[in-house]
This record gives sequence, structure tokens and C-alpha cells, in this order.
Amino acid sequence: MRSPLRKVLDVVAVFVVALYLAPLYWIALTSIKPTVHINSKEPVWIFEPTMEHYLEAFDRFEFGKALVNSSVIVISATFITMVLAMMAAYALARMRMRGADTTSLVILSLRFMPAVVIAMPFYLMYQRLGLIDSHLGMIVIYVGFGLPFAVWLLRGFLLDLPRDIEEAARLDGLGWMQILGRIILPLSGPGIAVTAIFTFVFNWNEFLFALYITQSTAVTLPIQISKMIDLYSVLWGTISGAVIMQLVPMVIVVFLLQRHMIRGLALGAVK
Amino acid sequence: MILRRLSSRLGEQRVAWLLVLPTLLILALLAVYPLIWSGMMAFRVENLFNPKIGKWVGFRNFNYLLTGDDVFWKTIRLTTVWCLVTVSVQLVLGFLLALLLDTRARVVGLLRTLIVIPVFITPVAMGLTWRFMFEPVTGVLNYLLEGMGFSAYPWHTSTDTALVAVMIADIWQWTPFVTLILLAGMQGISPEVMEAARLDRVRGWNYLRRIVIPLIWPVITVVLLIRLVDAIRIFDIVYVITRGGPGTSTLLASVNAYTVFQAGRLGVMAAYGFLIVIAINIVVIFFLRILHRQEKAAREKSEA
Repeated sequence: MRSPLRKVLDVVAVFVVALYLAPLYWIALTSIKPTVHINSKEPVWIFEPTMEHYLEAFDRFEFGKALVNSSVIVISATFITMVLAMMAAYALARMRMRGADTTSLVILSLRFMPAVVIAMPFYLMYQRLGLIDSHLGMIVIYVGFGLPFAVWLLRGFLLDLPRDIEEAARLDGLGWMQILGRIILPLSGPGIAVTAIFTFVFNWNEFLFALYITQSTAVTLPIQISKMIDLYSVLWGTISGAVIMQLVPMVIVVFLLQRHMIRGLALGAVK
Repeated sequence: MILRRLSSRLGEQRVAWLLVLPTLLILALLAVYPLIWSGMMAFRVENLFNPKIGKWVGFRNFNYLLTGDDVFWKTIRLTTVWCLVTVSVQLVLGFLLALLLDTRARVVGLLRTLIVIPVFITPVAMGLTWRFMFEPVTGVLNYLLEGMGFSAYPWHTSTDTALVAVMIADIWQWTPFVTLILLAGMQGISPEVMEAARLDRVRGWNYLRRIVIPLIWPVITVVLLIRLVDAIRIFDIVYVITRGGPGTSTLLASVNAYTVFQAGRLGVMAAYGFLIVIAINIVVIFFLRILHRQEKAAREKSEA
């Protein structure tokens, strides 16, 4: 039985959360409003919805190019990060390895490094290598940037598996590959998925490195959106359309992750 | 097969190191090497647009920042205020929100999912959304304020209020992060403890102060660490709403570093970055020590 007070609080919770997300409804609403209504002082609630802002984002602001760039860069970087992180995390968490804990801590400590400090050396390095404004350059940065977090998170998931699995499987006559393929990988499936999604999110939202390194060929979505406001600060309709298109994948991600979110956000450092 | 053959020949130790090696090499190249490079640049004069004038100058960049640059101390002050205000407001609001959502009602489960949406949303996109709502004449926030009988607020367009405006956007985005993690801590409190508290008639404020807060204290420490480091590094949302302006009223550390970079003064920028790294290290070491001590205390308690 729940107490009457708790019931009242539950109702309050519904209202608080609904109100909290108000900025999102507002920008979503704006993205389908005809331009005439957007800049009026009095908010207009009844109007004929339009898709013109979305189309305009593609037509006039090369939104499509940025979308492709972001997808190519983020997906490649996430894939490479995951392969490397899985190898490292497996060794750190489940193999007999002297110095595993210290190595893990060193890797984790790089997660706290401020991007602004290494962005400039990257710029100079890339200038010499001709990687400024290239997809490859961005992928390389994102791999380096995402690895510490991915290794740490995966290691946490792998540590959670029962300790003697490998030993038991070996006694049953299974080889290394079989242990990995039939036991470890299936068991750590959720952990791998969660780590991949988090890595994807960080890269998708990343702004600072992209601002330093990209100019036009390799611009990512956050950069393209922020450029729109420099040029035409009154085109709020188009901007809101672009914002919504940038946000939708992330909202989907939230629902995919559900209960696994906490683990990833807290870096697995809570335990 | 390959792994087994390798490990029988090399031994598990070596295979393990072989697996970690690519990651270590990449991090050495992509994180440690740039960091050292940046550290060395801090002791040089370097210009982005004129690479020929580079030379070693000792501590001159630091000297310039600490004594010759008026903006420097202002950015430090702004960043300190930023960290203290945003992190503490996020902590308090996040805690209250977590209390509100700490129940077993089914609706609330959905609410818990919805409330974390801000955490995952691109800060640049959210910054623009806030900027749209802040618009002094046509923005919805001033419309609401005036409708409630207040006068319009200049938000991001005035030197007096710009910092507050950006803080609101940041607090909105990261409070749910705090909520989510504190909630995880609260739901880890065992039913036995809650039952014992109920039998002892410990409830309300006392229940919070004597049971909940002490039990989730380690979680609070972790949240504080993560949020503080992120607050020191903050860049995107500030850049997109104000670019550090108007004037220098929201020129936080990373934004200032970018302005110095654009001016081409790489040595000064490196020295500035060096100071940011030191600040972050102090915070991280401080909190890790606290965590370490908590862990030790907990272990001793469970042994006793």
C-alpha cells in the first residue's frame, strides 16, 4: 500500500517532468510553424503545420552533407573504438595480467583531460600531415577521445561476470576461441551494446574538436548548426528544424538504453 | 584457436599485454603526446600565422597571463563562479528530483526515462534552443514573464545577465544527470534498512539526514567529481549562446582559450591550457582521495 502523500508526490512528479521538458516541445513546435508566426511577439498556438523548415535546412544549409559527414565519422570512430576497447578491456578484466589495475587507472585518468588543451597540438599536427578538415582526421581524434571511457566501461561490465567462468569452461574442454565466442561475448552483449551507444553519443554531440579541425569538407552536424546562427540569426524556423533533426537520434538512444544508462553515465565508478 | 596457440606459446601475461598494447599506443600518440607538446609550447612564443618567429622564452607566457593580462583573472573568476553555482544548483535540484522519482509507481518508471533526455541531447542544439527562447523581443520566456506581470529580462544580450542565462541552460541540461545517478544510489538502499528505519520511526527529514544521505554519500562524491571536471572544461553551450560575450561577460576558460587560439597566440594558449590541466588535476586528486578514504572506512567497518 502506498501512502496518500506518496500518491500526491507521484502526481507532482508527472507535472514536474512534463514541465521540465517544455523547451523541447517549444522547439519542436517552432520547427513546424510557418515563418510568419515564429517571430511574432504573441505565441501562436493554432496554425497549419509545415515542413518547409526541414526542406530549407537541406536546400540552403547543406544539412545533408553534414548529416553524411557526422554519420560516416561517428560510426567509423565508434566501430574502431569498440574493437580496440574490447581487446584491452578483456585483457584488463579477465586475464592474468600483472599491473592490470594500474594500467586501467592510467587509461581512466585520460578521460578527464580537457579537450581544449590537446586540440591545438592536433591542429598543428594535422596541418603538417594535411589532415585538417578531413574525415580521417576527425575519426582518428574521436578514437583517441573515446577510448579511455569505452575501455573503462567495458572493463566494468566484464568484471561483473562470474569469476570462474573461463576456468569451468576450460575444464569442460572448451578452447579459448570457444570460450570467447560462446560464453564471454553472449554474456557481455548488453555491456558491449551500452558502451557502443555511449561512444556514439559522445562523438555525435562533440563540438570542440570539430570546431578546431573542420572547415567545410568534413563539417559535422553540431558545427553546421552553429554556423547557421552566425549567418542568419533570424531564421529560427530553419534552425529549429535542424535542431530537431539533430536531437531525434539522441532521444531514440535514450529509449534504447533505458535502465543501462546509469551504469554508463557514472563511468562504472560508483562501485 | 589463434589466441590459444598464442597463449600456450607466450603465456597469458604476454597475450594480455598484447591485447592492451594497441590501446596504449594509440593513447600515447593521441593523448599523451599532444599533452606534452602543448606543455612545451607553453614555454615558447609561437604564432599560428607566422611559424618562423617561434622561440623558447621560459616562463614569459605565464608571467604575461598572471600579471600582464587583464582578461586572465576575469576568466578565472568567471570559471570559478560558474563551477560553484552550476554544480551546487545541479546537486540540490538533482537531489530533490531524485527524491520525487524514487518510488515504485509504474508511471514514474517512464518519467525516469523521459527526464534523462536532456543529458543525451547535443549541447549545441540545446544552446540554440535556449537562445531562441531567450530572444529579448520575440522570445517566449519574456512573453511569459510579462504575462505574469514582471518586466522583460535581457537574458544573453546584456553583460549583467548573460552569465545567468547560460547557467540556466547548463543547469537544465545536467541536473537530470545528477538525478539519475543519485536515484541509482537511493534504489540501492536495501529494504531491510528501510524497514528498520520504519520500525524505529525515523522518517521525513531525519530519515533523509541519517539514512539516505550517509548511505549515498559515495555516489554524491562521484557525481560531484564528474560534474566539477565537466564544469571546468565547459565550452559548447557557452560558445553557442554568447561566444563569451557580450564583452567578456561569459568568457569562461575554454572559450577564452579558443579566442586566444583564433588570435594565433599559441604559446599563451598553451600556458593557459596548462593552468586548466592543473586545476582539473587538483579536483580529481582531491576527490579520488576522498573516495579512497570512504572505501577504506567502509572496509574497516565491515571487517569489525
